[in-house]
Amino acid sequence: MTPPGKRYRIGPGQLAAFASALIADGYVVIAESPDGKGFTALKDGSAVAPDTERPPTALSMKDIVFPRAEPVFLYRKTLDDVQVIDPPSPPRGVVTFGVRPCDAASIQTLSKVFDWDYHDELFDTRAERTIVIGTLCRFTDDRCFCTSVGLSPSSTKGSDLFLLPLDDGGWILQIVTDKGSRFVARCLSAFSETDETGEDLVKRYPGPAVRFDPDRIRSWIPANFDHPLWPSLAETCLGCGQCAFACPVCHCFDLIDEADSFQHGRRMKIWDACQFPLFTKHASGHNPRDTQVKRYRQRVSHKFFIYPERFGEILCTGCGRCSRGCGVGIDIAEIVEQIEKTAVAESVARER
Amino acid sequence: MPNLYTPHAMVIREIIPETPDTTTFRLQFKDAEVARAFTFRAGQFAEYSVFGEGECTFCIASSPTRMEYIECSFKQYGRVTTALRRLNVGDIIGLRGPYGNFFPLEEMEGKNIVFIAGGIGLAPVRCVIWNVLDLRDRFKEITIIYGARSVDDLVYKRELKEWADRPDVKTIVTVDPGGETADWKGEIGFVPTIVEKAGLRGTDTVAIVCGPPIMIKYTMPVLTAQGFADKDIITTLENRMKCGVGKCGRCNIGSVYVCKDGPVFTYAQLKELPDEF
Repeated sequence: MTPPGKRYRIGPGQLAAFASALIADGYVVIAESPDGKGFTALKDGSAVAPDTERPPTALSMKDIVFPRAEPVFLYRKTLDDVQVIDPPSPPRGVVTFGVRPCDAASIQTLSKVFDWDYHDELFDTRAERTIVIGTLCRFTDDRCFCTSVGLSPSSTKGSDLFLLPLDDGGWILQIVTDKGSRFVARCLSAFSETDETGEDLVKRYPGPAVRFDPDRIRSWIPANFDHPLWPSLAETCLGCGQCAFACPVCHCFDLIDEADSFQHGRRMKIWDACQFPLFTKHASGHNPRDTQVKRYRQRVSHKFFIYPERFGEILCTGCGRCSRGCGVGIDIAEIVEQIEKTAVAESVARER
Repeated sequence: MPNLYTPHAMVIREIIPETPDTTTFRLQFKDAEVARAFTFRAGQFAEYSVFGEGECTFCIASSPTRMEYIECSFKQYGRVTTALRRLNVGDIIGLRGPYGNFFPLEEMEGKNIVFIAGGIGLAPVRCVIWNVLDLRDRFKEITIIYGARSVDDLVYKRELKEWADRPDVKTIVTVDPGGETADWKGEIGFVPTIVEKAGLRGTDTVAIVCGPPIMIKYTMPVLTAQGFADKDIITTLENRMKCGVGKCGRCNIGSVYVCKDGPVFTYAQLKELPDEF
């Protein structure tokens, strides 16, 4: 097995041939959809042409490992009995091409919550059966902030293999994980090993300037639960939840039943969002997060304090999808910058 | 693919109407193997489900000292509890669990125990009451204070009488003013007032409190005034939950997950939490 770290040169056109061979072998090859809405399975390998100069897709790749809706079991009822039937096994051999670092990182982050204490076998199996081919990101806009949350356009976190696009239309393929190495072993003979590191390319795409220090936010949040800043931060939030659905690492879900008839149906695990008023509402009518201000505070707290506290990772990859898609222009990086500004001003005032 | 959201099939063996809107189910595992492997501790909860309607979170209301059945008590409020109320003896429901932490029974041994409950809040407390009564000699004085809005709203009426008849338990039952009937022989007054009147002493005593938020709010200061330390007042929270296993993201209070770190908390722990429950 080729150890992680080795690099190979892929000539122009060879990547598409590689994808075509995978499809012919029965792999499910997934890439960003041409309409920019999300990720889609390709019928034809020649369509594989990772283009990271485009903005990220509206929906992230979490759909692949944590689908927007999936059955957790099916049931069959008779008059005096119920049979619980296991859901279909997730597809094997899923290969995702051209995944940006801010998307690829999500699987590792999500696995922290789906895998602590109780294991979510559905997530685990999908993650295990998915090969992530990350790709250097050549896009930056003023919504991007991957560099503020510990990532960069060339981070390999979450990728099994990583592609650097060369100017001649070819690629440098880096083996990142053992899983990636095992997967790619079968076709390495077509590629030549290289010493090129692509360092100049990486330097050419430094990504957005660092905008905030997440550690400062992390300590400020728990000490300032009732701070007057909170109500001003998300006054315009409509609670539509698009931010959570677009987010690569928002993992809140609901379990609901879908009955086809008296006899048949299924229990579904579906995406949910902490921005919805009913999310936390008790049967009695009591709602611990009864205002949008409280719900927005939960969103920011969960990402920059609660998740880091419990799982050691920021629940954000800096992709900027939530901000790009927001109907009222709320920009999470701006919100976090405001919190940091307040935190810094207060600590300066205390020292005086 | 079997997974952690797959429930066990439970057969409804008995349906006990408690109040006009509250029912107790006595359940048994359909699969004897599963029944043998199932264990739980007082205070843990489960996800109960009606196939085709959905899941609901209730505590396990029966005691782990009585494993021949599992009981749950629920008030009819929404879609699932309405569907549950339509079921008959012999019908099958789903159960996942047990989840969450539990009451520190071992630490409570050798002490006086005061149980304080309001309304349907008696369900999780009743689990501990039977657990303690089944191990009666390990505990000192036992006091039960229970209140509901009206005589009609008192749950576990048969057991209230059984506890009142026991010489080794002091039982005080109260109804809110106006909730009494002509032949009512118990107390009349809100739970915090009755707790005050009971003249409890906080030394060497653990209080287990569960009820509506308003009852908890006014009972805690009374207990503090009677000398209870914050760590000796234990309650159980029931935030809205779906997964029950720390994944679906809705029951947290700050960085504390009620389903994983709770549902059982001491008053000392509650005081550390942000005010969002």
